[in-house]
Amino acid sequence: MDPLALLTLQALNALSLSALLFFISLGLTLIFGIMRVVNFAHGALFMLGAYVGVTAHNASGSFLLSLVAAPLAAGLLGLAFERTALSRLYAREHSAFLLVTFGLALALTEAIRLLWGADARQAELPDALSGIVFVMDEPFPVYRLLLIGAGVLCGLGCWAGLQRTRLGLLLRAASQNPVMTAALGNDVGRVRAFVFALACALAALGGALAAPLLSASLGLGSNVIIDAFVIVMIGGMGSFLGTAAGSLLVGFAQTFGNYYLPELALGMTYVVMIAVLVLRPGGLFGRPE
Amino acid sequence: MSTLMIARRPALAALLAAPALVRPAAAQSGPIRIGVPTAMTGTWAALGAQVVRTCRLWAKTVNADGGLLGRPVEFLFEDTQGVPANCLRKAQEMVERDRVNILLGLMASSEALAVMPKLAEWNALFISSVNGAGSITAEHWVPNAFRSNISGPMGARALALWLRNAPQESFFSLSLDYAWGRSSVETFEGLLRGIGKRSIGSVFAPVGTRDYSSFITRVRQANPQALYIALTGDDGTAFLRQAAQFRLFERMPVVTETVDMLFTRPAGDAAIGLVGGSRYSFAFDHPANNDFVQRFRAEHNELPDTYDGEQWQACQVLAEAVRKAGRTETEAVVAALRDLEMTSVKGPLKMRACDGQAEQQGFVVRVARREGIPHPAPEVIATYSAAEVTPSCRASSFS
Repeated sequence: MDPLALLTLQALNALSLSALLFFISLGLTLIFGIMRVVNFAHGALFMLGAYVGVTAHNASGSFLLSLVAAPLAAGLLGLAFERTALSRLYAREHSAFLLVTFGLALALTEAIRLLWGADARQAELPDALSGIVFVMDEPFPVYRLLLIGAGVLCGLGCWAGLQRTRLGLLLRAASQNPVMTAALGNDVGRVRAFVFALACALAALGGALAAPLLSASLGLGSNVIIDAFVIVMIGGMGSFLGTAAGSLLVGFAQTFGNYYLPELALGMTYVVMIAVLVLRPGGLFGRPE
Repeated sequence: MSTLMIARRPALAALLAAPALVRPAAAQSGPIRIGVPTAMTGTWAALGAQVVRTCRLWAKTVNADGGLLGRPVEFLFEDTQGVPANCLRKAQEMVERDRVNILLGLMASSEALAVMPKLAEWNALFISSVNGAGSITAEHWVPNAFRSNISGPMGARALALWLRNAPQESFFSLSLDYAWGRSSVETFEGLLRGIGKRSIGSVFAPVGTRDYSSFITRVRQANPQALYIALTGDDGTAFLRQAAQFRLFERMPVVTETVDMLFTRPAGDAAIGLVGGSRYSFAFDHPANNDFVQRFRAEHNELPDTYDGEQWQACQVLAEAVRKAGRTETEAVVAALRDLEMTSVKGPLKMRACDGQAEQQGFVVRVARREGIPHPAPEVIATYSAAEVTPSCRASSFS
């Protein structure tokens, strides 16, 4: 393999990992942006997405359907959870929110264990997606290209939604000044419920997309949530563009770190985070607080 | 002390015996109780579950047949979480409180090594069904300990014998970055040197790695003729799936220390072609095994995995020794176990007296699609005689 092919291949690997990380950290960012709180249950929702996705895929034989079923299930669950539990907590301190979402993470993990059992679950990719393309004479899975495409699409879609629609305007308003937004006659409670449900759906979509690479297993949730937190911090808590940049940075740091310094691979993510926070204490696109 | 006991033994001996060594007479009537302190939660929970379910199936089978020596068999299970200190404590409780003198099913080698030095003091015996560490039947061997399972060095030996005749000359290793993964690669590299083949490098992935693409690129860059992996659990599954997506198996065969369905099954079709040693597989074609597999499927509606088979074999060895001894006291069963010859699910077997290791055949398997089984499963590709795969007495390596 010549150096250019190696670099290209690794860049594609990094992009596909970044795409997966983007799905989960984008939801975390949205929730933080609107509610100023961190959702600890986000990893468990990612895992739920993988399980629902695999089950829907195996039951229906359609991978596409699994990409609809997973976000739908998690979105509805998120909506119910926000309306029944979280909506009572906004007036309180943030610690209550942390505890309740942490509780949801534990309960959800146990519920998945009870429903699906301790063994990992998996579905086989359809033939159209399990193929390879040759990138500079090296085989590269079509599915990873699809992940990159899905990440880009999701990013563009969310950006357009936030910047170009009336709903996006409302979201940005509720993020900047919820009291004023409510005073102008908008139902901020409904905005919060919508954002929470959307964020849960995005995490689950990420989980369903990750399932063909990882299979659905119980360790999945706690595994990804830490990377997602780091990305949100790098990006500057609550910044959409920052999340995209953070996902890319972490994806590239992990992929190239695993190649050149596998013994230090676990630390690469944190090295990137520390470097960013030293140079810009508020994160890449955040304001120092 | 009961009168029955005095009647059975010379009164003088009974008077001289230290109180701690005195066993109640209940040992000769009522159920035969067997202690199984094993990992029911924690890292090895899935393996512990195999040990427990197979002990239960065996007790059910034996008891339906009128029991052992006409007495019902009863298992006592305790969770050790795979922690040696817990295992020692639970085993001691079983011996002292529940009057157990037979221990089976210990999970981690470190647990077995913690319990073994106490066996003489407890006047108890232990038959390993899981523990792989070579030292158990070498420098740390004690007279009341036996091992009916294939040890780590024996498994590696079978794989080495198979690789010696394989056309591949250069190997690269990929393993998890912790004690077992590193020692597995070290053993494998030593074994390659022994058969005159080359290791051209290795890489260690942190436990919990999800995206293996960089490691796959690294393997392709090294371009070995074959790849050795020491990966387990979710990590192993993720690697196999992703390597198959990158078509890595089309470039080079992949070998591993032990092929376990616990690890290959979740990988689905991606595990097809994986070659490795096997301590036990449902695929071993032997009448006793076919009978066990049938019994197991009827009970659990799935195929027995590695430690189901190993545990069944250990129970069979114990039963054979108890029958031969005609009683269940430690000294009698230990004497019966020495040089016991029998046939089990893996074929002929001999519990050699010099270090308690069961001499038995060694196996190499390959994962393949098989008729009548919904997931890819191992098939036997090579069998080696006991003489070829068992190290010499109280040794854990082959010279």
